[in-house]
Amino acid sequence: MTVPRFATTSVRRATPRTLMILLLTALMAVSLVSLLIGAGSVGPGRALALLSGAQDSEARFIVWELRAPRTLIGIAVGMALGVAGALLQAVARNPLAEPGLLGVSAGAAFAVALALVLGASAATLRIPVAQLGALVGCVCVLSVARFRGVGNDPIRLVLAGAAFSGLLASLTSLILLYDQRAADEIRFWVIGSLAGRRLDDLFAVLPSMLIASVVVALIARPLAALALGERVASGLGHHPKLIRWLVVACVALLVGAATAIAGPIAFVGLVVPFVARAFAGPDIRRTLWFCLPIGPLMVLAADIISRVVVAPSELPLGVLTALCGAPVLIAVVRARRLPML
Amino acid sequence: MPAFYGILSGGGENDSVPPLQGYWRFAWQGRHGANSLMFEQRAVVVNLGLFGALLLASVIYLSLGSVKVAPMAVLQALFGNADMMASFVVQELRLPRLAAAVSTGAAFALAGILMQTLARNRLATPGIIGIDNGATAFAVASIVGVGFSIAPPAMALAGATTAAVLTFGLAAGSGTQGYRFIVAGIGVGAVFGAVTQLMLARVAIDTANAAYPWTVGSLNARPSGALQLLMFGLALGLATAMALARSLTLLRFKDATASGLGVNVRRRRLEVLLLSVALTGLAVAVAGPVGMVGLIGPEIARSLSSSRSVPVLAATLAGALVMVLADLAGRTLLAPIEIPVGIVTAVVGGPWLLWILMRPQRSFT
Repeated sequence: MTVPRFATTSVRRATPRTLMILLLTALMAVSLVSLLIGAGSVGPGRALALLSGAQDSEARFIVWELRAPRTLIGIAVGMALGVAGALLQAVARNPLAEPGLLGVSAGAAFAVALALVLGASAATLRIPVAQLGALVGCVCVLSVARFRGVGNDPIRLVLAGAAFSGLLASLTSLILLYDQRAADEIRFWVIGSLAGRRLDDLFAVLPSMLIASVVVALIARPLAALALGERVASGLGHHPKLIRWLVVACVALLVGAATAIAGPIAFVGLVVPFVARAFAGPDIRRTLWFCLPIGPLMVLAADIISRVVVAPSELPLGVLTALCGAPVLIAVVRARRLPML
Repeated sequence: MPAFYGILSGGGENDSVPPLQGYWRFAWQGRHGANSLMFEQRAVVVNLGLFGALLLASVIYLSLGSVKVAPMAVLQALFGNADMMASFVVQELRLPRLAAAVSTGAAFALAGILMQTLARNRLATPGIIGIDNGATAFAVASIVGVGFSIAPPAMALAGATTAAVLTFGLAAGSGTQGYRFIVAGIGVGAVFGAVTQLMLARVAIDTANAAYPWTVGSLNARPSGALQLLMFGLALGLATAMALARSLTLLRFKDATASGLGVNVRRRRLEVLLLSVALTGLAVAVAGPVGMVGLIGPEIARSLSSSRSVPVLAATLAGALVMVLADLAGRTLLAPIEIPVGIVTAVVGGPWLLWILMRPQRSFT
């Protein structure tokens, strides 16, 4: 943060609003770029001409049928993962708690692979199964965090999560090796990508995302109280246990939904709240607001790059988020004092 | 330090040294005075036991598969008097793979225990702190030919070195103990993993398929020459590690203690680090990142051995044993589908790692 030490509160208060406007502008610009750029014959010029009213059926198909859904899905996935990361970090009181790193996404992916092997079809069952898997993963990791001593050390929790998600990932590939049909059905999903997703996928997850956002809106205030400590929160009339469970449910809904559309994507839930906290300061409510534009910004930018670098083929989205997230992880770990949440 | 008590006090002619508990001591009169040699009984038993288990597992490994060869026939085929089919299957198909399994397992485990001792951190195995991934990324780069194509082993060595420099460089401020070092290593590993994916996405599907085994760890595609190089390096590395065993035992203590007992700490550290990185690079060039063996092998060896010294040989044997069993399981469990050995070791080693992490914190190594 560039705000000088002597800045008065009024300056501080003005900054987030300006920042928010800047972020929203950037998000709109990135969305536009996402519509304009891609592999194939429809370049930015033709796409721009189409947007300004030219008659071009090929460009119309590519821009409105392929790129627009992809952009919308990218926005939804970014919001879900960013908010889920901020929530999980608040409830685990650990700046490194990230759904991808802690194995929540891997739990969702494993559940989907398992369901496919047991005979479900990918189209019908994926979302609830992914959410259930995410819930189980989330509960597992957080109960590990409550395990003797582990919770006191944020970094140890991350290690346990990394081990857990590595285990789930190899179990998933074991299942895929075992069952060729399941492998064919989800091969392009399990690596994490926005390519080829349709608008129907988005509509299918929209209800659970709406439910999650209502719940988040309701518990934002108690959550901010919880940041002051369990006793303070109880004293203010909240129920810490209930809040925790609601947060876990929200994280599972959000991460399960995002994973169901886009596959497991790591590091978004780490980077986005990290940046959002830098903008918003310690208040979880403000952080959550800032996650809303920053998450889509990161996912869309990564998606655009993944289309461009290896055109005409595509890069898994997780590759780019890992390239930008791992340095953030190292930076947080290297910091002398971990910021306690 | 019981080990030093015996050695320092030597053995006089009248052998006044009281017999040490748990050691076999051989004393004889040499030309320049009395000599004595001590073996820790438990270490001898453990090493012989592991070696026997490895031999047994090897025979089973050679006999099981899509064509079953009876264990007796395996022995006959090995020594040259069996029917054509059996000797072809055993000698031409399975023996090279067994050699690869034994030497990669041994190399990963040896590299693991060296790195753990060096960092005084039982989680600091090359696989966990990203050195495997670095070697993999560079080996894949040499296969998909990003501008420069050198033989995979050389590139794997370069990659292992790069990753080690990065991880240790990033940890320079905070030291290698504790979990921060490990998480920094995980970050380095994640970057290299992403780079590997990036390179695989850029090339034609055939080239990507040729490079795929490296990304999960498999004994299926062994580049020619890499295995010989690994066996040579392993023999050299094991001999060096055995020669360094006493310094390794002392390196577990504080730097001041170790140098007070006559160890040149900085030099030994550098030697051990180089050895571990080189072994990892060579092994990755053969089998890809099967880094969990580097965790499991030393864990088994430590649980069997006493804590008097660093069980270098036992860890090496245990690593080879684990690798042979894992590849055997991968070949036979879901036959005709073959599970890459990297996935088998990850499924077995993951819970083990979790268990280590969830135990209440104790001293490392």
